[in-house]
Amino acid sequence: MALRITVDIFSGRANPVIEVEGSEADEVLGRLKPGRKLTGREAAGPEPILGYRGLVIEQIGAASGGLPGQFRYLQGNLFGARLSHAAEDERFEDFISADAGLLRRLSLGEGFPDVFRKEVARSRKERAEHEEKEHHKRRHHHCECGPLYEPAWWNVPQRQPFNNCYNYATNYRTDTFAQPGLAAGSMYTALNCSSVGQAAVRDDLINTPNAKNKCPKEGHLVALVIWPGVDFHWFRKGRNGFWSHKPGSTPVRNVDNSNHLIPDPRTANRGPYTNFCTFMVVMHGHIKIR
Amino acid sequence: MATSKSDNKSTQWIGGALVFSGRPDPVWRVPDEAARDLQSLWAGLQPSVGRLPVAPALGYRGAFLRDAGGREWLGYGGIVTLKTKDVVLSRLDPARQFEKMLLATAPPAQLSPEVIRASQEKQ
Repeated sequence: MALRITVDIFSGRANPVIEVEGSEADEVLGRLKPGRKLTGREAAGPEPILGYRGLVIEQIGAASGGLPGQFRYLQGNLFGARLSHAAEDERFEDFISADAGLLRRLSLGEGFPDVFRKEVARSRKERAEHEEKEHHKRRHHHCECGPLYEPAWWNVPQRQPFNNCYNYATNYRTDTFAQPGLAAGSMYTALNCSSVGQAAVRDDLINTPNAKNKCPKEGHLVALVIWPGVDFHWFRKGRNGFWSHKPGSTPVRNVDNSNHLIPDPRTANRGPYTNFCTFMVVMHGHIKIR
Repeated sequence: MATSKSDNKSTQWIGGALVFSGRPDPVWRVPDEAARDLQSLWAGLQPSVGRLPVAPALGYRGAFLRDAGGREWLGYGGIVTLKTKDVVLSRLDPARQFEKMLLATAPPAQLSPEVIRASQEKQ
């Protein structure tokens, strides 16, 4: 049994290769024995980056150890044909870069194991940050049915002054400063969550108080907030996962009163509109407002 | 009657507050005499050359006076800005007298105590 281990780290230079056989190869395979199956995002495998990208292990001769003929090890995880599992040794990089480790055999200078260890740590950090960013994107970018953020279309003299937050949130231009319930013949009678919310339901918006800021499979999400006894306001969740709004006759915008983007209207700076009422779903083509 | 003759010749002055999002903003007719007082006040204000104050997106955003000729004065944050077809002029009004005088011309039913309170908050 022999193994060829390629340290996938360089871009311009050829990657270093270590060959091991016999009991050393057995020990390596033992440390790389597949454990639990990876799930979700981690099962998809690593994104290629500059710098350390893992160890590519080739089994010379017949494959053994429950591992394919060629596979990749990266920071505790194994990837290859029908292989996306955690390895028995989740610190295998530490093992090969230790004082008596396999990396010492490379003619890349005394300092290479240290360089390798630092690079492994750096790439681990970079991958964690990348994963965090991707997670953030996934959380905010899954609104395929959400309306586009297109302020240039709304913020023009023939539309901006005549359409309010309700028009914009429902993505329904009436040029009448639409009022909840009016099209259904029964407008709100008080400026509170209950009255304005029920009026919007009469316009065929769907109350979804438990939406938890998650986009619906069909239609798009809007949110009702109230300045108690004074006024109402609506936000809408866009395709990019962020919220935008049109305060009265003013321009459409995607920031709150603190000039921050709005990932969640419940936590946005809403000025005097202190009462968050509910989320609702607008099914495109179903509602009627006036 | 003399009064109606005078009314026929007078300019229609409209006052309003920029404050709501869902409801239409409150607007009201400003009496000629009050409008003249406001214009006199404007005439005495010092020019402003600094940056204009930025009103919040939600909540009170200022009070305006319009005439039928398309002129509009907007008071907010200690600055009064006049917009006409041709020019935009800003003047300093640190005590916000213009804004307060203008809001005082609103019929009581037009501005709720909450709106008045919002207009008095720090800008």
